Amino acid sequence: MVLRRLLYALALACALLAPVQPAIAQADTASLIQALGEAKNYTELEQAVDALAATGDSAAVPALEALSAGALYTKKLGGAVLIGVERGADLALTDPLTGESAGTEPAGGYERIRVNNRLRRALRGAIGALTLLSPKPDVRQAAAEAVYKNRDAGALEILEEALAKESVASVRVAMIEAKAAIQLAGEADDATKLAALEIIEKRGGRESLALLGQVSANASPAVAEAAQAAVKKIQAELQWWAILQNITYGISLGSVLLLAAIGLAITFGVMGVINMAHGEMVMIGAYTTFMVQEVIRTSFPALFDVSILIALPLAFLVAGAVGVAIERGIIRFLYGRPLETLLATWGLSLILQQAVRTIFGPTNREVGNPSWMSGAFDIGQISLTYGRLWIVVFGLIVFAALMLMLRRTPLGLQMRAVTQNRRMAASMGIRTPWVDAMTFGLGSGVAGLAGVALSQIDNVSPNLGQGYIIDSFMIVIFGGVGNLWGTLVGAFTLGVVNKFLEPYAGAVLGKIFVLVFIILFIQVRPRGLFALKGRAVEQ
Amino acid sequence: MKGGFLLRGLDRGGLIFLAIVLGVGILVPALNLLVPPGNPFHVPGYAVSLVGKYLCFALLALSIDLVWGYCGILSLGHGAFFALGGYAMGMYLMRQIGARGVYANPELPDFMVFLNWKELPWYWYGFDQFWFAAIMVIAVPGALAFLLGWFAFRSRVTGVYLSIITQAMTFALLLAFFRNDMGFGGNNGLTDFKDILGYPVQAAGTRATLFFASALALALGFLLCRAIIRSKLGKVLIAIRDAESRTRFLGYRVEHYKLFVFTLSACMAGVAGALYVPQVGIINPSEFSPAQSIEMVIWVAVGGRGTLIGPVIGAILVNFGKTYFTAAIPDFWLFALGGLFIAVTLFLPKGIVGAVTDWTKRYRKTPSRPDPVAPKPAE
Amino acid sequence: MNPDLMTRTLLYLDGVSVSFDGFRALNNLSFTILPGEMRAIIGPNGAGKTTMMDVVTGKTRPDAGHVIFDGKVDLTKQDEAAIASLGIGRKFQKPTVFESHTVWDNLDLAIEGARDPASTLFHMEGEERDRIEEILGIVRLRERRYELAGALSHGQKQWLEIGMLLAQNPKLLLVDEPVAGMTDAETAETADLLREIARTHSVVVVEHDMTFVRDLGVKVTVLHEGSVLAEGSLDHVSADPRVVEVYLGR
Repeated sequence: MVLRRLLYALALACALLAPVQPAIAQADTASLIQALGEAKNYTELEQAVDALAATGDSAAVPALEALSAGALYTKKLGGAVLIGVERGADLALTDPLTGESAGTEPAGGYERIRVNNRLRRALRGAIGALTLLSPKPDVRQAAAEAVYKNRDAGALEILEEALAKESVASVRVAMIEAKAAIQLAGEADDATKLAALEIIEKRGGRESLALLGQVSANASPAVAEAAQAAVKKIQAELQWWAILQNITYGISLGSVLLLAAIGLAITFGVMGVINMAHGEMVMIGAYTTFMVQEVIRTSFPALFDVSILIALPLAFLVAGAVGVAIERGIIRFLYGRPLETLLATWGLSLILQQAVRTIFGPTNREVGNPSWMSGAFDIGQISLTYGRLWIVVFGLIVFAALMLMLRRTPLGLQMRAVTQNRRMAASMGIRTPWVDAMTFGLGSGVAGLAGVALSQIDNVSPNLGQGYIIDSFMIVIFGGVGNLWGTLVGAFTLGVVNKFLEPYAGAVLGKIFVLVFIILFIQVRPRGLFALKGRAVEQ
Repeated sequence: MKGGFLLRGLDRGGLIFLAIVLGVGILVPALNLLVPPGNPFHVPGYAVSLVGKYLCFALLALSIDLVWGYCGILSLGHGAFFALGGYAMGMYLMRQIGARGVYANPELPDFMVFLNWKELPWYWYGFDQFWFAAIMVIAVPGALAFLLGWFAFRSRVTGVYLSIITQAMTFALLLAFFRNDMGFGGNNGLTDFKDILGYPVQAAGTRATLFFASALALALGFLLCRAIIRSKLGKVLIAIRDAESRTRFLGYRVEHYKLFVFTLSACMAGVAGALYVPQVGIINPSEFSPAQSIEMVIWVAVGGRGTLIGPVIGAILVNFGKTYFTAAIPDFWLFALGGLFIAVTLFLPKGIVGAVTDWTKRYRKTPSRPDPVAPKPAE
Repeated sequence: MNPDLMTRTLLYLDGVSVSFDGFRALNNLSFTILPGEMRAIIGPNGAGKTTMMDVVTGKTRPDAGHVIFDGKVDLTKQDEAAIASLGIGRKFQKPTVFESHTVWDNLDLAIEGARDPASTLFHMEGEERDRIEEILGIVRLRERRYELAGALSHGQKQWLEIGMLLAQNPKLLLVDEPVAGMTDAETAETADLLREIARTHSVVVVEHDMTFVRDLGVKVTVLHEGSVLAEGSLDHVSADPRVVEVYLGR
C-alpha cells in the first residue's frame, strides 16, 4: 500500500512538473474559449462547448467549470471572456486560461454567460471528457482524485465510462475509489454501499475519514456500523502515519541539532575545550550566507540558486579563521583550566554578538531559500519540505566527511595523537600548537557550515547562536564526550524524543522534559551514552 | 559551642568589613531620610534602591564564591536560586495586594484573573503569611540545590559537566517560568507590589529599612562564610577544591561536604533574591536566563574568588559599571562585559583582591603565615 | 576462598581480576597480609602494582574476586571514604598533598577523628595539637609547619604525605614508591622511618628501588602481568629464574 501511495506521489509530482501545453494548442483553446462568449443561443453555446471538449486540452477545464457555475462573463466592451467572482457590485476577474488575475471591475461592464440544465449536462460531460477521459494518465488521476473529493453524483456516468477504458492501474484505483465515494455519499442500496465502504477503508487517509463521518448520518444501521468500524480502522492507521510524521520531524530536528553540535564534538569532545562562543561560530556562518546572497542579489542575480553552495566554503573558511584566531589569541593560554576557558569564551561570545549587532543591526536578516530547497512533497500521509530534507542530507554528509577526516587523513591522525598523549605526540615531531589551532579551526569551520544550513530555517539574528549552545553541549555530553558516533546518536535521539513529547506536553514543556531527562541521565552515566573506558579516563 | 562558632569569623579583617557594611547600611538611608533634598549630602531615593540592589548582588556573589572559590564547584545556575528566592518573596507581595489589583479580586492576583483562573493554585497557599514566605525563600532554593547536588555529587559529576548541568537546570526553569500555565505570571512575572508587612513598598521609610536589611543580610552572610571557611570544614572544602580524590582517601565523604556547601549557598542566594525583589519592584523569568548566571560568576572572578571580600567588591564594581555604561553608551556595555571576562581570566586569575594581596606580599617580602585561603590560579 | 586464612589476615586478596578495554591489569591475583606485617611489592612496569592499590582503596572496582579487610569487611563493596575510615591509608606514587594548605593544616586534615561535615564544622582547634607536633617532629617538618605544602621540595612532600599517613593512624598503610626522586641519604632515612612505622602498623610498600627494598629487609612479593610470580625474601626471589627473566627480558 505504501508503494501505491508512493506511486501516487510520484505521479502527482510529474503532473506538477510537467511542461506547459504547447503554444499552438494554447492559442487554439484561447480562441475556442472566446467563442463561448460569442455564442448567440444555447445551441451555439453547446456547439462551442463540444468544440472545446474535442481539443482534449485540459487547460479549458477552468473555463468550463466557471461556465457551469455561472461565473463566466463576457466584457460588454470588446467581448473578452473572463472568470468573475462577485465582490458586492464589483467582479474580481481572472483569465480563464492562465489563471492570472485581471483586476477588479464594476459588474455593470460585464454580462454573465447563461446556461440551462441541458447545457449543464453537456458541460459535465465535456469536463469529464477533458479530464477523466484525457489521454494523459496524470490528468485522469488528478480528475479522479477531484471527483473523490467533491463526490459529485453527476460525474458517475462519465466516471464509469472512463473506468471501462482505463488501462493504467493506479489511475484505475483512483477511479474506483472515486466511484465508491459517490456511491457512499449518494443514494445506493446497502450492498453497494458496503462494497464501497470496503474500498474507502482500504484507501484510508483523513479525507476518507471525513467522508465516512457523513455516511453514518443517513444510512441503514448495517452500513452505519460498518462505517464506524472503518473509521476506527482508518484512525488507527492514521495514528501510525502520525508516528511516522513525528519521526520525520524528529529526524529533521535531530539533523539541525547534529549540525550545531558536531563542531562542538570536535572542540569539546576531542580537544576538551569548552567553547561557549561555539554558537557564535554558527551565527557567523549564517551571516556569511547573508553576505553572499546580498552580493549575488545586487550583482549576479542569476546565481541565486547556487548562493548556498558558494556560501558553504566561505562560511567554513570565515568561521574557521575566526576559530583559529580565538585559539591562538585566548584559548591556548588557558589549556588545563576548563572553567576559565568557559568564562573567557563566554565573554568572547558577548563581544561577537555585539559586534554583529553593531555591524548588521539587531533585527533579523533575510536569507532566501534557493528554488531547489523550497516546496514540499507528500509520502503517503506525511509531508516533507525539501529544505528540511536537504538539511538532513547535509548533516549526514558533514558527519561522514568529519569521520573520514579524522580516520583517514594525516591531520586527523595527528589530532587523535595529540588528544591521546600530547607529550608523546610532541616528541614524535608533531607540532602540537599547530594541530591545536587546526583542530579548533576545524570545529569552528564546521559550526560555520551549520550556520549556512540554519540560515535556511531559522532567523538570522545576532542571537542565533545562543539558542543552540546549551542544546549542543547537552548532546555532546549525552552522546559521550570524545565520541562522534555518540553525538550522531544523541542528536537524533533527542530530536525524535523532543518531537514525540511535543504533541502531549507542548513544545516548551517537551523541551523542559528533555533537559531534565538529560540532567538525570548524566547522573546515571556521567560519561554519556558511549563512554570511553580505560585507565586514561580515570585520571 | 555554637555561639562561639559565628564569632570565629570575627577577626580584625572581618570586623572592619562588618563595620563598613553596617555603616553603609545606616548611613545611606540616614542621608536619604534625614538630609533634605537639595543638600549636597542628600542621597536620592532611586540611589538607595540602586545601592540596595548592589548589596543583594554582593550577597549573591558571596554565595557563588563559597562554592566556586572554596570548593571548586562552578555553578552556572545560581541565578535560578536567586530567582526562586525572589519569586517566593514576590508571591508574598502579590498576596498583599489583595483587592487593590486592576480586577479588584481579593483572592487572585491580576494575572490569574486575566487567565480566567477560578481559584488559587495549591502552591500559592500560605504565601499570604510573611513567615511562610520567609521559610520558602530559603527552603525552595535549598531543596532544589539539595536535590540536584544529591544526584550530581553522588555520581561524581564534576568540573565543566556540573557547570553545564546547572546551566541546563536554570534554562529549564527559564522555559518553565515563561509558561503562563505555571501560575507565576508567565512572561511578565510578578510586579505592581503594594505593601510589605503592612508598609507601602515605595515609601521612603520602607526603602530605607529594606536597604538596611540588605546590608545586615550581607554582613551576616559574610560572617557565616567566614566562620565556615575558618573551621576545619573550610579546610576540607579547600582540600576538595585542590585534590578531590586525595580528600576521599583521607576518609572524607566529598559528596556530603559538597552537598552541604552547595545547599547553603543556594539558601544564601535565595535570601539575596528575596531582598532584591521588593527593592526593584519586579521579578520575572529573565532572572533565570543562563546569561544572567554566568554574569554573576564574573563578579566573583573580577573581585577575586577564594577571598570573601573579593566577590563583594566585584559585584558592586561590575554592577556599578553596568548601571553607568548601559545608560551612557549602551552599545559599549556588552563589549566591556565580554572584554572583562577575557581580561580577568587571562590577566587577573586571582581577581582584584588576589592581585592586591600578591602585590603587597611582594612589597613586604616577609613570608609570614600565609593566607590559608589563597586560591590556586589553575583550576 | 579459605575462610580460616581469611579471618587470620589483615588483608586478603582472592582471585582479583581487573581489565581495561580488554587489557587485563590484574589477573586472578591472590595474596595475604598478616596483622603487623610489612611487605614489599615489586614488579616491572605494568605488573599491576598501582592497580592493586586502586582496588584495595576502592578507586577501581574489580571485575571478579574478593578483597577482605580485617577478616570481615569486603572492600569491593565500599567506596574510598569508607575504606579510609576502616583504617587503610594510602600514599600515592606522585606525592599528593594539599598544596594551598599549610603543612600544619595538611596534618590537621589527616589526623584521626570524625569525618562528617557537622563534626568538622564545629570542630575546635587544639584538640590534636600535641599529636600533630609529634608527627611534625617525626617527618622533620617542624620548622616549616606554617609554610604552604606547595612550597615544599619533592622529598619533603613525600615525607609530609607519610606524616599524613601517620596522622590517620590506619591499620594498614599502602605506600606507593615512597623514595622516587629522593637522594640516597633521604632514601635511607625513609627506610628507617618506614621500619619505625611498621612496628605498630601493617605496611605494604610498592617500590622499584632494589637497594631500598633490601634496606627494608622484609618479605617480597613479585607481581607480573597482574598475578603473583614469586614470594619470599629478596634473596630468594632474586634467585628465581622466572623473576630474573621478567626483569632482564627474554
